[in-house]
Amino acid sequence: MFVALNKYGHAFLLGLQSNLVYRFNFAVRGFFSLFHLAVVFILWGAAFAGAPSIGGFSFGQTLTYFLVMLVMQFFVGAFNEDYQISEEIRNGLINQFLLKPINYFLYRFSIFLAARLVTGVLILLPLLIAVPLLRNYLVLPHDWWRLALGVPAMALSAIIQFSIAYCFGLLTFWFLEIQGFVILSMAVESLLGGQMFPLDLLPAGVFRVAQFLPFYYQTYFPVAIFTGRLNDIGLIWQGLGIQLAWVLIFLVFNQLLWVRGLRRHTAVGG
Amino acid sequence: MTRYLQIWLASARYSVVRTLMFRFDFFLWAVVELCWMSVNLLLIAVIYDHTNSIAGWSKYEMLLLVGTSLLVQRFLMGFFWSSIFEMGRNIRTGHFDFFLAQPGNVLFMASTRKIDLDGLVNSFVAMGVVAYAAHKLGLHPSALDLVLYAVMIFCGLIIHYSLLVLAVSFAFWATSAQGLEGIYFTMAEFSRLPRAAFRGLAAVVFVWMLPVVVVSNAPASTLLHGFQPSWALALLGAALLWLGAAVTVFHLGLRRYSSASS
Repeated sequence: MFVALNKYGHAFLLGLQSNLVYRFNFAVRGFFSLFHLAVVFILWGAAFAGAPSIGGFSFGQTLTYFLVMLVMQFFVGAFNEDYQISEEIRNGLINQFLLKPINYFLYRFSIFLAARLVTGVLILLPLLIAVPLLRNYLVLPHDWWRLALGVPAMALSAIIQFSIAYCFGLLTFWFLEIQGFVILSMAVESLLGGQMFPLDLLPAGVFRVAQFLPFYYQTYFPVAIFTGRLNDIGLIWQGLGIQLAWVLIFLVFNQLLWVRGLRRHTAVGG
Repeated sequence: MTRYLQIWLASARYSVVRTLMFRFDFFLWAVVELCWMSVNLLLIAVIYDHTNSIAGWSKYEMLLLVGTSLLVQRFLMGFFWSSIFEMGRNIRTGHFDFFLAQPGNVLFMASTRKIDLDGLVNSFVAMGVVAYAAHKLGLHPSALDLVLYAVMIFCGLIIHYSLLVLAVSFAFWATSAQGLEGIYFTMAEFSRLPRAAFRGLAAVVFVWMLPVVVVSNAPASTLLHGFQPSWALALLGAALLWLGAAVTVFHLGLRRYSSASS
Protein backbone atom coordinates (compact mmCIF):
# COMPACT_ATOMS: atom_id res chain seq x y z
CA MET A 1 0.00 0.00 0.00
CA PHE A 2 2.76 2.40 1.05
CA VAL A 3 4.85 1.42 -1.97
CA ALA A 4 1.88 2.12 -4.26
CA LEU A 5 1.27 5.47 -2.60
CA ASN A 6 4.94 6.32 -2.98
CA LYS A 7 4.89 5.27 -6.65
CA TYR A 8 1.85 7.34 -7.62
CA GLY A 9 2.99 10.12 -5.29
CA HIS A 10 6.03 10.47 -7.53
CA ALA A 11 3.76 10.56 -10.59
CA PHE A 12 1.77 13.33 -8.85
CA LEU A 13 4.93 15.35 -8.23
CA LEU A 14 6.01 14.80 -11.82
CA GLY A 15 2.60 16.05 -12.98
CA LEU A 16 2.91 19.06 -10.70
CA GLN A 17 6.25 20.02 -12.25
CA SER A 18 5.14 19.53 -15.86
CA ASN A 19 1.91 21.46 -15.30
CA LEU A 20 3.75 24.33 -13.67
CA VAL A 21 5.70 24.66 -16.93
CA TYR A 22 2.37 25.44 -18.65
CA ARG A 23 1.21 27.86 -15.94
CA PHE A 24 1.11 30.67 -18.53
CA ASN A 25 -1.38 28.72 -20.67
CA PHE A 26 -3.61 27.99 -17.69
CA ALA A 27 -3.37 31.59 -16.47
CA VAL A 28 -4.41 32.89 -19.92
CA ARG A 29 -7.28 30.43 -19.95
CA GLY A 30 -8.29 31.54 -16.46
CA PHE A 31 -8.14 35.20 -17.52
CA PHE A 32 -10.27 34.60 -20.59
CA SER A 33 -12.82 32.73 -18.51
CA LEU A 34 -13.55 36.18 -17.01
CA PHE A 35 -14.82 37.17 -20.45
CA HIS A 36 -17.13 34.17 -20.41
CA LEU A 37 -18.38 35.40 -17.06
CA ALA A 38 -18.97 38.82 -18.64
CA VAL A 39 -21.12 37.16 -21.36
CA VAL A 40 -23.09 35.37 -18.64
CA PHE A 41 -23.55 38.61 -16.72
CA ILE A 42 -24.75 40.55 -19.79
CA LEU A 43 -27.01 37.81 -21.22
CA TRP A 44 -28.66 36.73 -17.98
CA GLY A 45 -28.78 40.31 -16.68
CA ALA A 46 -30.80 41.25 -19.78
CA ALA A 47 -33.02 38.15 -19.38
CA PHE A 48 -33.70 38.95 -15.72
CA ALA A 49 -34.63 42.54 -16.63
CA GLY A 50 -37.91 41.16 -17.97
CA ALA A 51 -38.48 38.56 -15.23
CA PRO A 52 -37.66 39.01 -11.52
CA SER A 53 -36.95 35.28 -11.15
CA ILE A 54 -36.11 32.55 -13.64
CA GLY A 55 -36.81 28.98 -12.62
CA GLY A 56 -37.45 30.22 -9.07
CA PHE A 57 -33.99 31.78 -8.73
CA SER A 58 -32.86 35.39 -8.66
CA PHE A 59 -30.24 36.97 -10.90
CA GLY A 60 -27.75 36.85 -8.01
CA GLN A 61 -28.32 33.14 -7.48
CA THR A 62 -27.95 32.44 -11.20
CA LEU A 63 -24.75 34.47 -11.41
CA THR A 64 -23.39 32.64 -8.35
CA TYR A 65 -24.19 29.35 -10.08
CA PHE A 66 -22.11 30.29 -13.13
CA LEU A 67 -19.22 31.58 -11.02
CA VAL A 68 -19.09 28.38 -8.94
CA MET A 69 -19.43 26.36 -12.16
CA LEU A 70 -16.39 28.14 -13.56
CA VAL A 71 -14.32 27.47 -10.45
CA MET A 72 -15.52 23.85 -10.38
CA GLN A 73 -14.35 23.29 -13.97
CA PHE A 74 -10.86 24.42 -13.06
CA PHE A 75 -10.83 22.15 -9.98
CA VAL A 76 -12.34 18.95 -11.42
CA GLY A 77 -12.63 19.37 -15.22
CA ALA A 78 -10.48 17.40 -17.62
CA PHE A 79 -8.60 19.86 -19.84
CA ASN A 80 -6.42 17.99 -22.31
CA GLU A 81 -5.90 14.64 -20.63
CA ASP A 82 -7.62 12.88 -23.55
CA TYR A 83 -5.14 14.36 -26.03
CA GLN A 84 -2.16 13.54 -23.80
CA ILE A 85 -3.23 9.90 -23.51
CA SER A 86 -3.91 9.76 -27.23
CA GLU A 87 -0.45 11.17 -27.94
CA GLU A 88 1.20 8.59 -25.65
CA ILE A 89 -0.58 5.74 -27.41
CA ARG A 90 0.14 7.06 -30.90
CA ASN A 91 3.82 7.72 -30.20
CA GLY A 92 4.29 4.40 -28.45
CA LEU A 93 5.12 6.06 -25.13
CA ILE A 94 2.72 3.76 -23.29
CA ASN A 95 5.01 0.82 -24.13
CA GLN A 96 7.17 1.62 -21.12
CA PHE A 97 4.15 1.24 -18.82
CA LEU A 98 3.40 -2.21 -20.20
CA LEU A 99 6.77 -3.45 -18.95
CA LYS A 100 6.60 -1.87 -15.49
CA PRO A 101 4.40 -2.58 -12.45
CA ILE A 102 2.48 0.63 -13.00
CA ASN A 103 -1.25 0.92 -13.53
CA TYR A 104 -1.61 3.35 -16.43
CA PHE A 105 -5.02 4.62 -15.24
CA LEU A 106 -3.68 5.43 -11.77
CA TYR A 107 -0.53 6.97 -13.25
CA ARG A 108 -2.56 9.30 -15.49
CA PHE A 109 -5.04 9.99 -12.68
CA SER A 110 -2.19 11.08 -10.38
CA ILE A 111 -1.01 13.52 -13.06
CA PHE A 112 -4.62 14.70 -13.54
CA LEU A 113 -4.86 15.47 -9.80
CA ALA A 114 -1.62 17.46 -9.95
CA ALA A 115 -2.88 19.39 -12.99
CA ARG A 116 -6.14 20.25 -11.23
CA LEU A 117 -4.22 21.46 -8.20
CA VAL A 118 -2.30 23.87 -10.46
CA THR A 119 -5.37 25.06 -12.44
CA GLY A 120 -7.45 25.24 -9.24
CA VAL A 121 -4.91 27.59 -7.65
CA LEU A 122 -4.51 29.63 -10.85
CA ILE A 123 -8.27 30.28 -11.22
CA LEU A 124 -8.16 31.92 -7.80
CA LEU A 125 -6.16 34.79 -9.38
CA PRO A 126 -8.88 35.94 -11.83
CA LEU A 127 -11.36 35.36 -9.01
CA LEU A 128 -9.57 38.07 -7.05
CA ILE A 129 -10.75 40.43 -9.81
CA ALA A 130 -14.23 38.94 -10.37
CA VAL A 131 -15.45 38.47 -6.79
CA PRO A 132 -15.02 42.10 -5.63
CA LEU A 133 -16.78 43.29 -8.82
CA LEU A 134 -19.67 40.88 -8.36
CA ARG A 135 -19.84 40.88 -4.55
CA ASN A 136 -23.23 42.62 -4.50
CA TYR A 137 -24.75 39.85 -6.61
CA LEU A 138 -23.24 36.69 -5.15
CA VAL A 139 -25.53 34.61 -2.93
CA LEU A 140 -24.06 31.46 -1.40
CA PRO A 141 -26.01 29.39 1.14
CA HIS A 142 -24.12 28.77 4.39
CA ASP A 143 -25.47 25.34 5.45
CA TRP A 144 -22.59 23.17 6.72
CA TRP A 145 -24.11 20.01 5.23
CA ARG A 146 -23.63 21.41 1.73
CA LEU A 147 -19.90 21.26 2.29
CA ALA A 148 -20.11 17.76 3.78
CA LEU A 149 -22.07 16.42 0.78
CA GLY A 150 -20.69 18.75 -1.89
CA VAL A 151 -17.02 17.86 -1.40
CA PRO A 152 -17.52 14.08 -1.93
CA ALA A 153 -19.73 14.91 -4.94
CA MET A 154 -16.90 17.08 -6.26
CA ALA A 155 -14.37 14.25 -5.78
CA LEU A 156 -16.62 11.78 -7.63
CA SER A 157 -17.14 14.40 -10.37
CA ALA A 158 -13.37 14.59 -10.82
CA ILE A 159 -13.23 10.79 -11.30
CA ILE A 160 -16.08 10.91 -13.84
CA GLN A 161 -14.45 13.81 -15.71
CA PHE A 162 -11.13 12.03 -15.86
CA SER A 163 -12.74 8.70 -16.79
CA ILE A 164 -14.54 10.24 -19.77
CA ALA A 165 -11.28 11.87 -20.94
CA TYR A 166 -9.47 8.55 -20.40
CA CYS A 167 -12.10 6.73 -22.52
CA PHE A 168 -11.63 9.20 -25.36
CA GLY A 169 -7.85 8.94 -25.07
CA LEU A 170 -8.07 5.14 -25.37
CA LEU A 171 -10.11 5.49 -28.56
CA THR A 172 -6.72 6.08 -30.21
CA PHE A 173 -6.30 2.29 -30.19
CA TRP A 174 -9.06 2.24 -32.82
CA PHE A 175 -8.94 5.71 -34.41
CA LEU A 176 -5.90 7.70 -35.47
CA GLU A 177 -7.52 11.06 -34.68
CA ILE A 178 -9.81 11.59 -31.69
CA GLN A 179 -10.26 15.37 -31.81
CA GLY A 180 -13.64 15.15 -33.55
CA PHE A 181 -15.01 12.78 -30.90
CA VAL A 182 -13.63 14.94 -28.07
CA ILE A 183 -15.17 18.17 -29.37
CA LEU A 184 -18.46 16.41 -30.09
CA SER A 185 -18.47 15.13 -26.52
CA MET A 186 -17.63 18.63 -25.24
CA ALA A 187 -20.81 19.95 -26.85
CA VAL A 188 -22.92 17.28 -25.12
CA GLU A 189 -21.06 17.74 -21.83
CA SER A 190 -21.40 21.51 -21.82
CA LEU A 191 -25.13 21.20 -22.46
CA LEU A 192 -26.01 18.31 -20.14
CA GLY A 193 -23.33 19.20 -17.59
CA GLY A 194 -25.03 22.53 -16.94
CA GLN A 195 -22.31 24.81 -18.31
CA MET A 196 -24.62 26.58 -20.78
CA PHE A 197 -27.54 27.06 -18.38
CA PRO A 198 -28.66 25.60 -15.03
CA LEU A 199 -30.18 22.21 -15.87
CA ASP A 200 -33.23 22.81 -13.65
CA LEU A 201 -34.41 25.30 -16.29
CA LEU A 202 -35.01 22.40 -18.69
CA PRO A 203 -38.58 21.08 -19.03
CA ALA A 204 -39.29 18.76 -16.05
CA GLY A 205 -39.29 15.54 -18.07
CA VAL A 206 -36.00 16.30 -19.82
CA PHE A 207 -34.42 17.34 -16.50
CA ARG A 208 -35.49 14.03 -14.94
CA VAL A 209 -33.83 12.09 -17.78
CA ALA A 210 -30.67 14.24 -17.49
CA GLN A 211 -30.41 13.23 -13.81
CA PHE A 212 -29.68 9.67 -14.85
CA LEU A 213 -26.94 10.58 -17.32
CA PRO A 214 -23.26 10.86 -16.30
CA PHE A 215 -22.95 14.43 -17.61
CA TYR A 216 -25.25 15.68 -14.83
CA TYR A 217 -22.66 14.46 -12.33
CA GLN A 218 -19.68 15.97 -14.14
CA THR A 219 -20.19 19.50 -12.81
CA TYR A 220 -23.87 20.38 -12.33
CA PHE A 221 -24.46 18.11 -9.33
CA PRO A 222 -21.76 19.49 -6.96
CA VAL A 223 -22.38 23.06 -8.18
CA ALA A 224 -26.12 22.70 -7.51
CA ILE A 225 -25.37 21.44 -3.98
CA PHE A 226 -23.02 24.35 -3.21
CA THR A 227 -25.22 27.05 -4.73
CA GLY A 228 -28.56 25.98 -3.24
CA ARG A 229 -30.21 24.75 -6.43
CA LEU A 230 -30.46 21.32 -4.78
CA ASN A 231 -31.94 21.50 -1.29
CA ASP A 232 -33.52 18.12 -0.61
CA ILE A 233 -30.94 16.06 1.33
CA GLY A 234 -32.74 12.83 0.37
CA LEU A 235 -32.43 13.69 -3.32
CA ILE A 236 -28.76 14.60 -2.86
CA TRP A 237 -28.03 11.20 -1.26
CA GLN A 238 -29.85 9.57 -4.15
CA GLY A 239 -27.73 11.64 -6.53
CA LEU A 240 -24.55 10.57 -4.77
CA GLY A 241 -25.64 6.95 -5.20
CA ILE A 242 -26.19 7.42 -8.96
CA GLN A 243 -22.91 9.30 -9.21
CA LEU A 244 -21.06 6.46 -7.46
CA ALA A 245 -22.72 3.97 -9.81
CA TRP A 246 -21.44 5.97 -12.82
CA VAL A 247 -17.95 6.03 -11.32
CA LEU A 248 -17.99 2.22 -11.03
CA ILE A 249 -19.41 1.81 -14.55
CA PHE A 250 -16.67 4.04 -15.98
CA LEU A 251 -13.92 2.23 -14.05
CA VAL A 252 -15.08 -1.13 -15.42
CA PHE A 253 -15.58 0.29 -18.93
CA ASN A 254 -12.14 1.91 -18.91
CA GLN A 255 -10.52 -1.36 -17.89
CA LEU A 256 -12.41 -3.15 -20.66
CA LEU A 257 -11.30 -0.56 -23.23
CA TRP A 258 -7.70 -0.81 -22.00
CA VAL A 259 -7.63 -4.63 -22.28
CA ARG A 260 -9.35 -4.67 -25.69
CA GLY A 261 -7.23 -1.77 -26.91
CA LEU A 262 -3.97 -3.42 -25.91
CA ARG A 263 -4.90 -6.42 -28.06
CA ARG A 264 -4.84 -4.09 -31.06
CA HIS A 265 -1.75 -2.20 -29.93
CA THR A 266 1.32 -2.97 -31.99
CA ALA A 267 3.78 -1.09 -29.71
CA VAL A 268 5.46 0.81 -32.53
CA GLY A 269 7.92 3.51 -31.46
CA GLY A 270 8.40 4.60 -27.84
CA MET B 1 -5.14 39.32 -58.25
CA THR B 2 -6.02 36.69 -60.88
CA ARG B 3 -2.96 34.70 -59.83
CA TYR B 4 -4.16 34.66 -56.21
CA LEU B 5 -7.61 33.57 -57.34
CA GLN B 6 -6.00 30.72 -59.26
CA ILE B 7 -3.96 29.72 -56.20
CA TRP B 8 -7.08 29.82 -54.03
CA LEU B 9 -9.04 27.72 -56.54
CA ALA B 10 -6.20 25.17 -56.60
CA SER B 11 -6.31 25.01 -52.79
CA ALA B 12 -10.09 24.64 -52.89
CA ARG B 13 -9.82 21.77 -55.39
CA TYR B 14 -7.22 20.06 -53.20
CA SER B 15 -9.52 20.48 -50.17
CA VAL B 16 -12.45 18.90 -52.01
CA VAL B 17 -10.32 15.93 -53.05
CA ARG B 18 -9.08 15.58 -49.47
CA THR B 19 -12.65 15.62 -48.16
CA LEU B 20 -13.65 12.91 -50.63
CA MET B 21 -10.76 10.80 -49.38
CA PHE B 22 -11.63 11.24 -45.69
CA ARG B 23 -15.42 11.01 -45.87
CA PHE B 24 -15.86 9.85 -42.27
CA ASP B 25 -13.91 12.88 -41.04
CA PHE B 26 -16.14 15.17 -43.08
CA PHE B 27 -19.26 13.56 -41.65
CA LEU B 28 -17.94 13.62 -38.07
CA TRP B 29 -16.90 17.29 -38.17
CA ALA B 30 -20.17 18.31 -39.81
CA VAL B 31 -22.00 16.64 -36.89
CA VAL B 32 -19.64 18.28 -34.37
CA GLU B 33 -20.38 21.76 -35.74
CA LEU B 34 -24.09 21.02 -35.96
CA CYS B 35 -24.10 19.94 -32.30
CA TRP B 36 -22.36 23.14 -31.18
CA MET B 37 -24.81 25.23 -33.17
CA SER B 38 -27.68 23.33 -31.56
CA VAL B 39 -26.22 23.97 -28.09
CA ASN B 40 -26.27 27.73 -28.74
CA LEU B 41 -29.81 27.61 -30.10
CA LEU B 42 -31.01 25.50 -27.16
CA LEU B 43 -29.62 28.11 -24.77
CA ILE B 44 -31.90 30.68 -26.40
CA ALA B 45 -34.87 28.30 -26.36
CA VAL B 46 -34.40 27.55 -22.64
CA ILE B 47 -34.06 31.21 -21.63
CA TYR B 48 -37.17 32.18 -23.60
CA ASP B 49 -39.08 29.39 -21.87
CA HIS B 50 -38.77 31.55 -18.76
CA THR B 51 -38.83 35.11 -20.09
CA ASN B 52 -40.32 36.98 -23.07
CA SER B 53 -37.54 39.42 -23.79
CA ILE B 54 -33.78 39.82 -23.67
CA ALA B 55 -32.89 43.52 -23.82
CA GLY B 56 -36.10 44.17 -25.74
CA TRP B 57 -35.48 41.38 -28.27
CA SER B 58 -38.18 38.77 -28.76
CA LYS B 59 -37.40 35.06 -29.14
CA TYR B 60 -37.33 35.05 -32.94
CA GLU B 61 -35.42 38.33 -33.16
CA MET B 62 -32.83 36.74 -30.90
CA LEU B 63 -32.87 33.60 -33.06
CA LEU B 64 -32.19 35.76 -36.11
CA LEU B 65 -29.26 37.41 -34.31
CA VAL B 66 -27.77 34.10 -33.15
CA GLY B 67 -28.32 32.59 -36.62
CA THR B 68 -26.46 35.54 -38.18
CA SER B 69 -23.60 35.16 -35.71
CA LEU B 70 -23.41 31.42 -36.43
CA LEU B 71 -23.46 32.11 -40.18
CA VAL B 72 -20.38 34.34 -39.99
CA GLN B 73 -18.67 31.78 -37.75
CA ARG B 74 -19.47 28.90 -40.13
CA PHE B 75 -17.91 30.83 -43.04
CA LEU B 76 -14.82 31.44 -40.94
CA MET B 77 -14.69 27.74 -40.04
CA GLY B 78 -15.17 26.71 -43.65
CA PHE B 79 -12.76 29.09 -45.36
CA PHE B 80 -10.02 29.85 -42.84
CA TRP B 81 -10.13 27.95 -39.51
CA SER B 82 -7.93 24.92 -40.33
CA SER B 83 -5.30 27.02 -42.07
CA ILE B 84 -5.03 29.63 -39.31
CA PHE B 85 -5.14 26.99 -36.56
CA GLU B 86 -2.25 25.17 -38.24
CA MET B 87 -0.47 28.48 -38.70
CA GLY B 88 -0.17 28.88 -34.91
CA ARG B 89 1.14 25.34 -34.56
CA ASN B 90 3.59 25.78 -37.43
CA ILE B 91 4.96 29.01 -35.93
CA ARG B 92 5.63 27.16 -32.66
CA THR B 93 7.26 24.15 -34.28
CA GLY B 94 9.20 26.00 -36.97
CA HIS B 95 7.28 24.38 -39.81
CA PHE B 96 6.19 27.83 -40.94
CA ASP B 97 9.30 27.92 -43.14
CA PHE B 98 7.24 26.09 -45.77
CA PHE B 99 5.04 29.16 -46.31
CA LEU B 100 7.94 31.60 -46.33
CA ALA B 101 9.39 29.72 -49.27
CA GLN B 102 6.21 30.06 -51.35
CA PRO B 103 5.98 32.69 -54.13
CA GLY B 104 3.17 34.83 -52.72
CA ASN B 105 1.93 36.90 -49.80
CA VAL B 106 2.76 34.87 -46.68
CA LEU B 107 -0.48 35.63 -44.83
CA PHE B 108 -2.58 34.78 -47.89
CA MET B 109 -0.71 31.54 -48.55
CA ALA B 110 -0.83 30.45 -44.90
CA SER B 111 -4.43 31.38 -44.15
CA THR B 112 -6.17 30.07 -47.28
CA ARG B 113 -4.45 26.72 -47.70
CA LYS B 114 -7.33 24.54 -46.58
CA ILE B 115 -11.09 24.76 -46.94
CA ASP B 116 -13.34 22.71 -44.66
CA LEU B 117 -16.47 21.65 -46.45
CA ASP B 118 -18.09 20.59 -43.16
CA GLY B 119 -18.13 24.22 -41.99
CA LEU B 120 -19.55 25.35 -45.31
CA VAL B 121 -22.27 22.68 -45.25
CA ASN B 122 -23.37 23.95 -41.84
CA SER B 123 -23.54 27.51 -43.15
CA PHE B 124 -26.71 26.34 -44.93
CA VAL B 125 -28.11 25.28 -41.55
CA ALA B 126 -27.30 28.75 -40.16
CA MET B 127 -29.01 30.33 -43.20
CA GLY B 128 -31.98 28.08 -42.49
CA VAL B 129 -32.11 29.37 -38.89
CA VAL B 130 -32.05 32.99 -40.13
CA ALA B 131 -34.72 32.26 -42.75
CA TYR B 132 -36.93 30.44 -40.20
CA ALA B 133 -36.64 33.34 -37.72
CA ALA B 134 -37.40 35.88 -40.49
CA HIS B 135 -40.45 33.84 -41.52
CA LYS B 136 -41.70 33.67 -37.90
CA LEU B 137 -41.23 37.43 -37.60
CA GLY B 138 -43.16 37.98 -40.82
CA LEU B 139 -40.23 39.80 -42.44
CA HIS B 140 -40.17 40.36 -46.18
CA PRO B 141 -36.75 41.88 -46.92
CA SER B 142 -36.26 43.43 -50.35
CA ALA B 143 -33.57 42.18 -52.74
CA LEU B 144 -31.48 45.21 -51.78
CA ASP B 145 -31.79 44.35 -48.07
CA LEU B 146 -30.59 40.81 -48.84
CA VAL B 147 -27.62 42.11 -50.82
CA LEU B 148 -26.74 44.49 -47.98
CA TYR B 149 -27.09 41.63 -45.50
CA ALA B 150 -24.69 39.52 -47.60
CA VAL B 151 -22.17 42.38 -47.83
CA MET B 152 -22.37 42.85 -44.06
CA ILE B 153 -21.82 39.13 -43.49
CA PHE B 154 -18.72 39.44 -45.68
CA CYS B 155 -17.48 42.39 -43.57
CA GLY B 156 -18.20 40.29 -40.45
CA LEU B 157 -16.15 37.46 -41.92
CA ILE B 158 -13.22 39.86 -42.42
CA ILE B 159 -13.50 40.95 -38.77
CA HIS B 160 -13.61 37.34 -37.49
CA TYR B 161 -10.65 36.48 -39.73
CA SER B 162 -8.70 39.44 -38.37
CA LEU B 163 -9.44 38.53 -34.74
CA LEU B 164 -8.29 34.96 -35.32
CA VAL B 165 -5.10 36.05 -37.12
CA LEU B 166 -4.37 38.49 -34.28
CA ALA B 167 -4.88 35.80 -31.63
CA VAL B 168 -2.68 33.28 -33.45
CA SER B 169 0.01 35.90 -34.22
CA PHE B 170 0.81 36.05 -30.50
CA ALA B 171 2.56 32.72 -31.08
CA PHE B 172 5.42 34.73 -32.67
CA TRP B 173 6.09 36.27 -29.27
CA ALA B 174 4.96 33.49 -26.91
CA THR B 175 6.09 30.30 -28.61
CA SER B 176 5.22 28.13 -25.61
CA ALA B 177 1.63 29.40 -25.53
CA GLN B 178 -0.95 26.96 -26.85
CA GLY B 179 -4.68 27.31 -27.40
CA LEU B 180 -4.45 31.00 -28.34
CA GLU B 181 -7.22 30.42 -30.86
CA GLY B 182 -9.48 29.91 -27.82
CA ILE B 183 -9.40 33.71 -27.45
CA TYR B 184 -11.38 33.91 -30.68
CA PHE B 185 -14.15 31.65 -29.35
CA THR B 186 -14.39 33.72 -26.18
CA MET B 187 -14.80 36.88 -28.26
CA ALA B 188 -17.32 35.19 -30.57
CA GLU B 189 -19.60 34.58 -27.57
CA PHE B 190 -20.30 38.32 -27.38
CA SER B 191 -21.52 38.41 -30.96
CA ARG B 192 -24.57 36.37 -29.97
CA LEU B 193 -25.80 39.16 -27.67
CA PRO B 194 -27.98 42.12 -28.70
CA ARG B 195 -26.38 45.59 -28.65
CA ALA B 196 -29.01 46.88 -26.22
CA ALA B 197 -27.86 44.40 -23.55
CA PHE B 198 -24.48 46.16 -23.25
CA ARG B 199 -24.38 49.01 -20.78
CA GLY B 200 -21.71 51.16 -19.18
CA LEU B 201 -18.17 49.80 -19.36
CA ALA B 202 -19.32 46.66 -21.23
CA ALA B 203 -20.71 48.88 -24.03
CA VAL B 204 -17.46 50.83 -24.25
CA VAL B 205 -15.30 47.67 -24.43
CA PHE B 206 -17.40 45.26 -26.48
CA VAL B 207 -19.34 47.65 -28.70
CA TRP B 208 -16.86 50.46 -29.34
CA MET B 209 -13.38 49.04 -28.65
CA LEU B 210 -13.80 45.44 -29.84
CA PRO B 211 -15.81 44.67 -32.99
CA VAL B 212 -17.57 41.63 -31.55
CA VAL B 213 -21.07 43.07 -31.23
CA VAL B 214 -21.29 45.00 -34.50
CA VAL B 215 -20.42 41.83 -36.49
CA SER B 216 -23.81 40.22 -35.91
CA ASN B 217 -25.98 43.13 -34.81
CA ALA B 218 -25.43 45.19 -37.96
CA PRO B 219 -26.63 42.55 -40.48
CA ALA B 220 -29.41 41.32 -38.16
CA SER B 221 -30.68 44.90 -37.71
CA THR B 222 -30.67 45.36 -41.49
CA LEU B 223 -33.07 42.43 -41.88
CA LEU B 224 -35.17 43.50 -38.90
CA HIS B 225 -35.37 47.27 -39.40
CA GLY B 226 -34.02 47.94 -42.90
CA PHE B 227 -30.77 49.63 -43.90
CA GLN B 228 -29.22 51.83 -41.20
CA PRO B 229 -26.20 53.81 -42.42
CA SER B 230 -24.73 54.12 -38.90
CA TRP B 231 -24.54 50.32 -38.48
CA ALA B 232 -23.17 49.85 -42.01
CA LEU B 233 -20.46 52.47 -41.51
CA ALA B 234 -19.51 51.06 -38.11
CA LEU B 235 -19.18 47.58 -39.60
CA LEU B 236 -17.18 48.70 -42.64
CA GLY B 237 -14.91 50.86 -40.49
CA ALA B 238 -14.34 48.01 -38.02
CA ALA B 239 -13.58 45.56 -40.85
CA LEU B 240 -10.94 47.85 -42.39
CA LEU B 241 -9.42 48.80 -39.04
CA TRP B 242 -9.16 45.26 -37.69
CA LEU B 243 -7.89 43.79 -40.96
CA GLY B 244 -5.20 46.49 -40.96
CA ALA B 245 -4.32 45.68 -37.35
CA ALA B 246 -4.16 41.92 -38.07
CA VAL B 247 -1.91 42.35 -41.12
CA THR B 248 0.38 44.75 -39.23
CA VAL B 249 0.70 42.55 -36.13
CA PHE B 250 1.22 39.45 -38.27
CA HIS B 251 4.07 41.10 -40.19
CA LEU B 252 5.62 42.49 -37.01
CA GLY B 253 5.53 38.98 -35.61
CA LEU B 254 6.94 37.52 -38.78
CA ARG B 255 10.10 39.58 -38.25
CA ARG B 256 10.62 37.76 -34.95
CA TYR B 257 10.18 34.33 -36.49
CA SER B 258 13.46 32.50 -36.28
CA SER B 259 12.59 29.30 -38.12
CA ALA B 260 12.88 25.74 -36.77
CA SER B 261 12.63 25.23 -32.99
CA SER B 262 11.73 28.88 -32.53
